[in-house]
Order: sequence, then structure tokens, then C-alpha cells
Amino acid sequence: MAGFLDNVRWPEWECIDWSERRNAVASVVAGVLFSAGWWVMIDAAVVYAKPEQLNPAFHTCGVFSTLAFFMINAVSNAQVRGDSYESGCLGRTGARVWLFIGFMLMFGSLIASMWILFGAYVTQNTDVYPGLAVFFQNALIFLSTLIYKFGRTEELWT
Amino acid sequence: LSFTALVLLSFSGAIGLTFLMLGCALEDYGVYWPLFVLIFHAISPIPHFIAKRATYDSDATSSACRELAYFFTTGIVVSAFGFPVILARVAVIKWGACGLVLAGNAVIFLTIQGFFLVFGRGDDFSWEQW
Repeated sequence: MAGFLDNVRWPEWECIDWSERRNAVASVVAGVLFSAGWWVMIDAAVVYAKPEQLNPAFHTCGVFSTLAFFMINAVSNAQVRGDSYESGCLGRTGARVWLFIGFMLMFGSLIASMWILFGAYVTQNTDVYPGLAVFFQNALIFLSTLIYKFGRTEELWT
Repeated sequence: LSFTALVLLSFSGAIGLTFLMLGCALEDYGVYWPLFVLIFHAISPIPHFIAKRATYDSDATSSACRELAYFFTTGIVVSAFGFPVILARVAVIKWGACGLVLAGNAVIFLTIQGFFLVFGRGDDFSWEQW
């Protein structure tokens, strides 16, 4: 019984060499998710234009998520390991601190968006859509960051 | 062969623009705000060209610059689709017009991609290729 799916394999698509295109696919997927996140928020802001329905302060989460996206993806994995030739202006430790702060901002925004969804929308007797939009904006940007950061391999850069 | 491709691509580009104009100009609709998607169409190749210039000397399969260009290009394409939907959601345009604009977007982006596929080949990329 154990391991009965061991021999099941995905069908192989031999015609395209996916290993060479992995970075491009990851970048495109990350782009789709990131822009979908922002457009969901734009949609909510446009349809629910009154401040009582969507407090303008709730845009903060998305802004910080975006800032965190660019911070996290500004340092390459090679710099964090200390492998690259030029050490950049901060060196290896600086790269790690930068990455740490970036991830903290990202997780903070994600948690804040969940808080907004539940605290300002689900528990009040009001239309939930703006709260869902804030949450999905940050969740999509978070997923986009993960895919852009970890879905690409730096071996294709050499 | 590339002459045929050029003519076919011009044709599909014209079809795409026709869809876009129909979405704005038909009697039922008559609202011209969707024409702003043309800005997205115009800027969509720019990240690719910037990355191509910046990594011209490199032999590597890929680079961080090129991947960032893919990221921004994808963002621009998604935005071109999102914009008419937003317009329709607040009833600035009707959903029928939105559908026509989205169809026009799809055809135009496929045309742009077709241009890159047909005319983007060649090891030394020269700016005066046409």
C-alpha cells in the first residue's frame, strides 16, 4: 500500500526544453499574479469609492507589499550566500539584513490585510468585497514574490 | 516569406484596432475612454528592448534584467485587459464594448508577439532591421 503512487509520472512534453525556459515562465507567472493583485484593488477602489466603504488607509498594505517585493527581489541568492564576485555596497551581511527586512514587510502586510478583512469587514455588518480585495491584493503580491524569488534559477545567468 | 508575414501581421493588427474602434464608436456605445489601452500597447515592447540593449554583450541564456523585462511586460499586458473591465464595472462603458475591446487587445498583443517571432530572429540585433 505504501508508495503505490511512486511510479506515477507527469506526461513528458519533449518538444519544449522547459529547463531553459524556467526563468521566463516564472517571471511571466509572477507578473500575472502581481498585476492581478493590483487590478483587484483598483477595481475595489473604483467600485467602492466612498471612504466609509473602503478606507483609503487600507491601500497602505498593498504599497508595503510592493515595496517588499522589490526589496526581496533586489538581492540575488548568490549575494546572500556570499558567492558573487562583487559584494555590492552592503556585502553579504547587508544583503541578508535587507532580505530579512523585506520579508518582514511582506509578512506584515499580509497579516495586516487579513486583519483588515476580518476586523473591518467580516465582523461588521457590511459588504465584504473591499476587504477581500485588500486581502487578495496582498496574497497575490506575496505569491508573486515567492514565485519570482524562488521559481527562477540563477544557474541560467552564467 | 517575411513579406507575407509582414502583410499578414498588418492585417491582424488592423483587425485588432477595428475591434477596439468598434468598441468605442458603435452607436450603442459611443464612449471613447477605452482608447487609452493603446498606451499599454505602445509601451509593451519597451522593457524587452531595454533588456536587449543592456545585455547585448552577454552570452548567458538569461539574466536578471531580461527576467525583470518579462515581468514588467506581463504587467503591462494584464493591465491592458484589466482597464476595460474596470471601466465596465463602473458603467463608464457597456459590457459589450468591454468585450470588443478585450478581443481587440488579444489580437493586437498576438500581432505584437508575431512581430517579435518573425522579425526578432538573427544573432546580431540591429536597430535598422526593416
